[in-house]
Amino acid sequence: MSQRASTAVRAGQGSDPLPGPGAPDGRVRLTLRQRLSRWDAKFSPYLYVSPFFVVFLLVGLFPLAYTAYVSLYEWNLIGGQGDYIGLENYRRVLENPYFLKSVVNTFSIFVLSSIPQIVIALALAGLLNAPLRGRSFWRMGVLVPFVVAPVAVAIIFGNLFGDRYGVFNEMLGWIGVGPIQWHVDRLASHVAIATMVNWRWTGYNALILLAAMQAVPRELYESAALDGAGRIRQFFSVTVPMIRPTLLFVIVTSTIGGLQIFAEPRLFDETMARNGGSDRQFSTVTMLVYDFGWRLRDLGKASATAWLLFLIVVAIALLNYALTRRLTGQGEKR
Amino acid sequence: MKDRPGFLAYGLLTAFLLGSLFPLYWSFLSGSRTQEEMSSSNPPLLPGGHFFDNASRVLDTVPFWKAMGNSLLVSGVTATSVVFFCTLAGFAFAKFSFRGRTTLLVFVIATMAVPTQLGVVPLFIVMSKLGWTGTMWSVMVPWLVTAFGVFFMRQYLVDAVPDELVEAARMDGCSTFRTFWNVGLPAARPAAAILWLFTFMQVWTDFFWPLIALNSDNPTLQIVLNQLQSGYFKDYSLVLAGTTLATIPLLVLFAFTGRQFVSGIMQGAVKG
Amino acid sequence: MALLTASLAACASDDGGSDDGTVELTIATFNEFGYEDLIEEWNADNPDIQVTQKKVGTWDDAKENLYTKLASGSGLSDIEAIEGDAMPAIMAESDAFVDLTDSELDGRWLDWKAEAATNGDGQMIGYATDAGPEGICYRSDLLKKAGMPTERDEVAKLWTTWDDYFAEGEKFVAAVPGTAWYDSSQGTSQAMLNQVANPFESDDNTIDVENPELKEVWEAVTGNVNLSTRLSQWGDDWIASFQNDGFATMACPGWMLGVVEGNAKGVEGWDFADVFPGGGGNWGGSFLTVPSQSEHPEEAKEFAAWITAPEQQVRAFEAIGAFPSQVDALDAPEVLEASNAFFNDAPVGEILASRAEAITVQPYKGPKYSDILQAFQAAVTRVDDGSNEPDESWRTFLSDVEQLG
Repeated sequence: MSQRASTAVRAGQGSDPLPGPGAPDGRVRLTLRQRLSRWDAKFSPYLYVSPFFVVFLLVGLFPLAYTAYVSLYEWNLIGGQGDYIGLENYRRVLENPYFLKSVVNTFSIFVLSSIPQIVIALALAGLLNAPLRGRSFWRMGVLVPFVVAPVAVAIIFGNLFGDRYGVFNEMLGWIGVGPIQWHVDRLASHVAIATMVNWRWTGYNALILLAAMQAVPRELYESAALDGAGRIRQFFSVTVPMIRPTLLFVIVTSTIGGLQIFAEPRLFDETMARNGGSDRQFSTVTMLVYDFGWRLRDLGKASATAWLLFLIVVAIALLNYALTRRLTGQGEKR
Repeated sequence: MKDRPGFLAYGLLTAFLLGSLFPLYWSFLSGSRTQEEMSSSNPPLLPGGHFFDNASRVLDTVPFWKAMGNSLLVSGVTATSVVFFCTLAGFAFAKFSFRGRTTLLVFVIATMAVPTQLGVVPLFIVMSKLGWTGTMWSVMVPWLVTAFGVFFMRQYLVDAVPDELVEAARMDGCSTFRTFWNVGLPAARPAAAILWLFTFMQVWTDFFWPLIALNSDNPTLQIVLNQLQSGYFKDYSLVLAGTTLATIPLLVLFAFTGRQFVSGIMQGAVKG
Repeated sequence: MALLTASLAACASDDGGSDDGTVELTIATFNEFGYEDLIEEWNADNPDIQVTQKKVGTWDDAKENLYTKLASGSGLSDIEAIEGDAMPAIMAESDAFVDLTDSELDGRWLDWKAEAATNGDGQMIGYATDAGPEGICYRSDLLKKAGMPTERDEVAKLWTTWDDYFAEGEKFVAAVPGTAWYDSSQGTSQAMLNQVANPFESDDNTIDVENPELKEVWEAVTGNVNLSTRLSQWGDDWIASFQNDGFATMACPGWMLGVVEGNAKGVEGWDFADVFPGGGGNWGGSFLTVPSQSEHPEEAKEFAAWITAPEQQVRAFEAIGAFPSQVDALDAPEVLEASNAFFNDAPVGEILASRAEAITVQPYKGPKYSDILQAFQAAVTRVDDGSNEPDESWRTFLSDVEQLG
């Protein structure tokens, strides 16, 4: 709990922080209005955050507990509950050769997507923040990838990244570069998937950052300009520090989203089992969860994998949060 | 900030936009041609005259309008609810002091790390116990307030609303809700516009959960688009005509919210 | 919350059964079953049992829905269509499905079809819809280029064994460089596996993947990659290869004719020969099941039996070309007289009926059949796409199978 919060709580319990006009020193009889206002300040915030927790209780908590429970049993997806086996499912998953491979793939795709995505999104938001002609056109334009139906995304990127008849390989052929085996070569497949991810999410993140940039007071730019700071300089010395909380938000959410990547590699996959390429070149951890659960019908192992992934994501998100705060000074003003 | 952005800025933006728009253009291109034309070794680069043929085939094959109505309802209700509740919660997290605030916020963020693939089985159990399967409630209720939205609004409002303003409102005897209404909400407009749009689009393109939770006689758009793929081979022209049709309402929405978005920003700038 | 729930409950749709005694049934299908007109007809004739169809695009999506609802214990349709290769896994959990055994239906289906839907306890879990007897689709124009016969009767005489087929392939690729002999190693290996009695599991469900028959298939397919397009079957490149003279022949179960026609639209020269290397083989075909969750199992069974009757399946064949698996349907004139303009007016009905008769062996499929098949196909693909040498790929296959436990 932050310092300020605890002060406020103490204030709420102890002496009146707001002596009304004419109130004598020491204990005062509060009017009904004051009392209501105090109750309001003390309890209303809980009311305001409660809808989230109500929905979570209804649709989030049970699935989480259920998954934890299932992970301790032999559990066939169709046949249902079997014997209690403790942490055996976790051991089996950790010993599965594809687990480590999937973790490595996930991180590789994550690095190839999240970093360029955030850097480009930041630059793009900076451009969109300028007084452009037809600005709503540009702003909405960058969001278009997000509305294209997944079915269409699969068809289009399938055509682009075809190993033999794909558009990209044909274009590479014009400049004398041999065809790239997009679905076979491990790194190439990661690049292809990261491209799909970046295509879909960069504009989205740019708009989030743009919204924060819009709230930066104009006076700050004016005084920076008076100090002789150029546009680029202003961007780094005014804009970026001022949008730190939102930047942090973008980094945390794209970390979480990136480590759970599923849709793109699955759409990209052309093998029969659809579990990440013939040699699991681009199998990710969520794909492994899915593979255990829905292809091999082993809900126990799938649940154990899901929990392992959850722990990894939380650990990385925390690390990320700490690092970001450190790198950007205090991170947020308090 | 008087100097207008130059050639370079427009050049970069144009390049980015071409990349963004190309697949949508291709969808329309394929949807306006026949399968034969598109699969030839030299596919055409300009739209042809078959879009209406293909579109009417789409309308004959699947209950498109019903699905469109359902999608509009589900996306609209969800997005509006998300914006209201998440802004309220985000404002409380950002600007009010209460015991356990940080812990609760960390908890909210942590729920985002839960992988969703497995949640489907228990979620379906919950929904069928509540008797909501097959109804629009099953696809709306889980997303009425999202951790993403709460976290986003909190991060945005932390800086967008100066503490002094909240303090001043309190001095004036404003209730916490009035403070939210008069101070928080106007300042939140740019972020709220974005959150609304994002949620709308996310729900609009969601496929897996609606497939499980709804009946195909009462479907959302993505379910009927998926039905277009049945048959012995993928009829790209048909599928892409369908996806183009499904995207049009969103583009209209863009044009509308785009303007809202800009005016929202102006308002935010005044307050800030 | 109570208020909210109450008001929401009012919006919930009723699940089957209304006050006036009408039973409402749902049937979930994927891809095409050709049932639209049939269901309309049934509804007109049976006012007290009304059926609605729920369609999903692909088996993959239908499977996700099916498994989720089996795991959740509710929400399934009264009749669920199931793809043939998934049947063994479904039958391993027979409790979840109604026993559809009915002595009146004895002899309705081809023997091996009925067996494929009957579990160890002799219960019939599913009613077969269509079957996939295999012939060979070929491009007469490309064969001509290689100086080979092009008439379908002559092509049918070119090979009787797989060795002949591969030998002809060697001649072909030597004569027409740049075009493969067959569409994919996966398709070819699947066709060969369909002629092995116990490809992966012995009759008591013990997994045995080191048997000589499987090894033979493996060596034939991986030893002849030069005859294959080396593309992933069903992938985008594979689809594109139909338009790029990618290959000259392919193993064609009846339903594949529609796949070829769709993907090869505008390409001329396709034909269909009444021959299959190594004898007959069946690839694919689906079943209708009734989950135990259904509230109207009797009515569901009645409807499933009706729609899988020979007369109805003949009409499904006419509608979408799904070749029937019912004995009486095979000599129905509508089937025997059917021809296909895209395949040079080949008498496809007659050919497929003759291919169905040639089927002597039907592989035994235990509960892990589909899982092992997918691992095997991945192993073939690894050799095809060059990510592994055959020995390495085989070792990975063995370890994958071991993981299945």
